Amino acid sequence: MKEKGKVVLVMLVLLFLATVVSTGFGAVSVPFLDTVKIILKNWGLLNISDFKEGWESIIFYVRFPRVVTTILVGAALGTSGAVMQGVFRNPMADPGVLGVSSGASLGAVLAICLGLPAKGVIFMPLFAAAGALTASFLVFILAARKGKIPVMNMILSGMAISMFFGSVTTGILSFISSDQVRQFLFWTMGSLNGRVWQDVKISFIPILLCIFILFLFSRDLNIMLLGEEEAQSVGLSPSKTRRRILVFSSILTATAVSISGTISFVGLMVPHIIRLLIGPDNRVLIPASTLGGAIFLLLCDLLGRTIVSPAEINVGIITSFLGAPYFLFLLNKTRKEGAVL
Amino acid sequence: MKGNEMKENTAKENITREGNAAQDYVLEITGLDYYIDDVQILKNINLKIMHGEFVGIIGPNGAGKTTLLKCINGINTPGGLVKIKNRDIGKLNEKQVAREVALMSQNTAITFPFPSIDVVLTGRYPYLGFARGESMEDYNVARKYMRYTDTLQFENREITKVSGGERQRILFAKLLTQETDLVLLDEPASNLDIAHVEQIFTYCRELCCAGKTVIAAMHDLKTASKYCPRLILLKDGEIIADGATGEVLTSENLSKAYGVNALVYRNRITGLLDVYIPGFEMRKEKKRIHIIGGGGSASGVIRQLFEMGFDISIGVLTHGDSDSACAEVFGIKRVIDKPFSGISDEAFEENVKYIKESELTILCNMPFGILNLRNLDAAAHASNLAIIEDDSPETRDFTGGEALEIYNELKRKAVVTTFARLHEVIQ
Repeated sequence: MKEKGKVVLVMLVLLFLATVVSTGFGAVSVPFLDTVKIILKNWGLLNISDFKEGWESIIFYVRFPRVVTTILVGAALGTSGAVMQGVFRNPMADPGVLGVSSGASLGAVLAICLGLPAKGVIFMPLFAAAGALTASFLVFILAARKGKIPVMNMILSGMAISMFFGSVTTGILSFISSDQVRQFLFWTMGSLNGRVWQDVKISFIPILLCIFILFLFSRDLNIMLLGEEEAQSVGLSPSKTRRRILVFSSILTATAVSISGTISFVGLMVPHIIRLLIGPDNRVLIPASTLGGAIFLLLCDLLGRTIVSPAEINVGIITSFLGAPYFLFLLNKTRKEGAVL
Repeated sequence: MKGNEMKENTAKENITREGNAAQDYVLEITGLDYYIDDVQILKNINLKIMHGEFVGIIGPNGAGKTTLLKCINGINTPGGLVKIKNRDIGKLNEKQVAREVALMSQNTAITFPFPSIDVVLTGRYPYLGFARGESMEDYNVARKYMRYTDTLQFENREITKVSGGERQRILFAKLLTQETDLVLLDEPASNLDIAHVEQIFTYCRELCCAGKTVIAAMHDLKTASKYCPRLILLKDGEIIADGATGEVLTSENLSKAYGVNALVYRNRITGLLDVYIPGFEMRKEKKRIHIIGGGGSASGVIRQLFEMGFDISIGVLTHGDSDSACAEVFGIKRVIDKPFSGISDEAFEENVKYIKESELTILCNMPFGILNLRNLDAAAHASNLAIIEDDSPETRDFTGGEALEIYNELKRKAVVTTFARLHEVIQ
C-alpha cells in the first residue's frame, strides 16, 4: 500500500510537469520558469511584471484555461472509466455504457439546430449535459428490476438508449444546414480549442466534487470485485452501491463531455494501462487513473496543437488514433501469453 | 463453559426447553417461504438453533440448502420471520446483519489478484464507517485469524496464486475476521482433499466450543455425521427431519430424501454412522444363493450378491458377529445363534434347509473352530458349492486338522475361487 502511494505521488509530479510544458509550449514558446511565474502572478502569489509583451495574455488567458479544462476533462474521464470498470467487473467497460455520449450528442445537435451557440457559450455545454443526464437516467430506469440494477440489464439498456439517441441525432442532422452539420461534427470530434475561464468555472465544481465522492467508494468497489455475494456477506449492498456510483459517474462524464465534446478511449485505455501496471486495488487505481487521464489528455492535446502547427488536430482524433494500436497491442499480448485482459 | 454444555444438547432437548427465554436461541426461523419467480424454493421452514450448536444441513441437490443459508444472512429476502439473537433481520441494515452472521459461499471465484491480507480484511467491513480505512486494530484481528488458519505466511501473496486448500483457509480466516456469533458455511469441503476437509471441520468444532454457532450445508453424509451433533434434512424445500444425527440419518429418511435405497449402519472400526448406497440390478429370475460365513468373511459377499439382485440367505452366524450385523442392515434371511456356545440342532437344521433350497452355496474365506465346525458339515448338503479361498485353509484351521479334513473333502466337488473373482462363478 505504501509503495502504491508512491505511484500517486510520482503521477502528481508528472502532472505538474505536463501542465507546465503544455502551457509553455506552442506557436509562441515561453520558457517554463516564466510560465510558472506568470501563473503565480495572476493568482496574486507573485509580484513581478517584467514579462515579454503578449506572453502574459497568451499564457494566462489563452493557454492556461485550455490546459486546466483539459486536466479537468481528462481527470473526469479517467476516474469515471476506472469506476465503471470496477462496477461492471469488466476491464473493457467505459463511460459510454451509460449512454452519456449519445445523450450529449443529441443535446448538442438540438442546441445547434436551435441556433443557440451564437447566443452564448453556455448553451452548448448546458444542452449536452442535459442530454447526457437524460440518457443515463433512461438507462437506469430501463435497467432497474425491483430496485436492483443487474449488470447485464445495464449494458443492454445502455445499448438500446445509445442506438435510439444516435438515430434521432442522425435524423436531425439530415434536416439541418451543412454549416450546422459541420459545427456538430467538430463538436463530436472532441476539441479543447478556445476554452476560456468560463468553461473552467462551470465545470470544475461538479467535476472535482464527483471525483472526490467516487474516491470514497474505492474500498466498496474493491469488495464488489470479490463478487456480489461476498459483498453482501460482509454487509455491502452491491445494488445500492452500484446505483450511487453510477449516478455520480454519470454526472461526472456528462460534465466532461459537455465542455469538450466526445473524447473516446481515454476512459477505457488509461485505467486499463494503469491496472496492468499497479494491479486492481481501487484505492490506488482510481486516483492514479484520475491523474493518468489528466496527463494523457494534456499530452494528446499538446500533440494535436503542435504537430501541424499553426493548424490543429482535435484531441478526440488523437485519442482515437492512439486507441487503435493499443487494442492491437492487447490482442497480441493475449495471443502470446493467453493472459486475461 | 456455556458453549460446551450447549453443544451436547440434542434437538430433542431443545424442544423440551422451548419454554425458556428466547435469548437462548441464536437463530429462530418461523414460517419461512421463499420464491424465485413463481417457483417455491423453500416451504414453511421452522427452525430454532441454540448458541454453540454445530448443525449440518443435508439433502439432495436442489433441496434448498444454499437458498436457506442465504435467507439467514439476508442475501435472499424471504417471507416469514428470521430472527438472530431475537432481532428480526428484515429490520436491520446490511452492516448490522453482517456483524451477526457471516457466510462462506461455495466455490467463491476471486479472479482479481488482491493480496490475501486485503481479502481477509474485507471481513472488517461491517465495522467500518463509510470511506473509513482499516485501523491497526483491524489488521491485528485479520492477522490473528490468519495465524489461526495457518495462512499468515501468505499475507502478501495474491489470492489468485495460492492453492485451493490454502485459499479455502484464507477465506475461512476472512469469515472469522467478521467475528460473528453465527457462522454459515456452504459446502465448505467441496474441492478439498480429505486432510483439508478434516481441518475445516475441526476449526468449526473449535468455534462451537468457543460458544459460536455453526450451520453448514454439506453433501457428504459421513462427514456430517462425524462432526455435527444435529442434522437438518431438506427435500424439495421442506425440512423432513430435524434432530440428533442418529435420528435424522436413518435408512428411511435418506431413502425418502434422496430417492435411493440407502443403508445406514454404524462402522465397526470407527464407531461412526456410515451410509451405503447399493447399486441395484433387477433380475427376472431370482436365483437362490446361500452363504456360509462368519467373523467378517461374508460381508463383502453379501453386499456383492445383494447388488446383483439375488435372493440370499446366510447361516449360521452368532449374535454380535460383524457378518450378522451386515446381514441385518441388508435385511436378508439369516440363521443366528447364541454366541460362543456351538451351533444348536435347530440352527443347524434351518441352515441345511436353506442350503437345500439354494441353487448355489458359497463358503466364505472364514476361520474354523470347534464352535462353527457344523457349518462345514452343513456345506456338504449343497447341490452346487463355491469356495472362496483367499488365504490358505491351513492358516484358518483352529481345530487341529479336523476342519481341514472336511474342507478338503468339500473342495473336491466344489468350484474354488477368490473373492475378487466371485462374480465369474456366479454368472
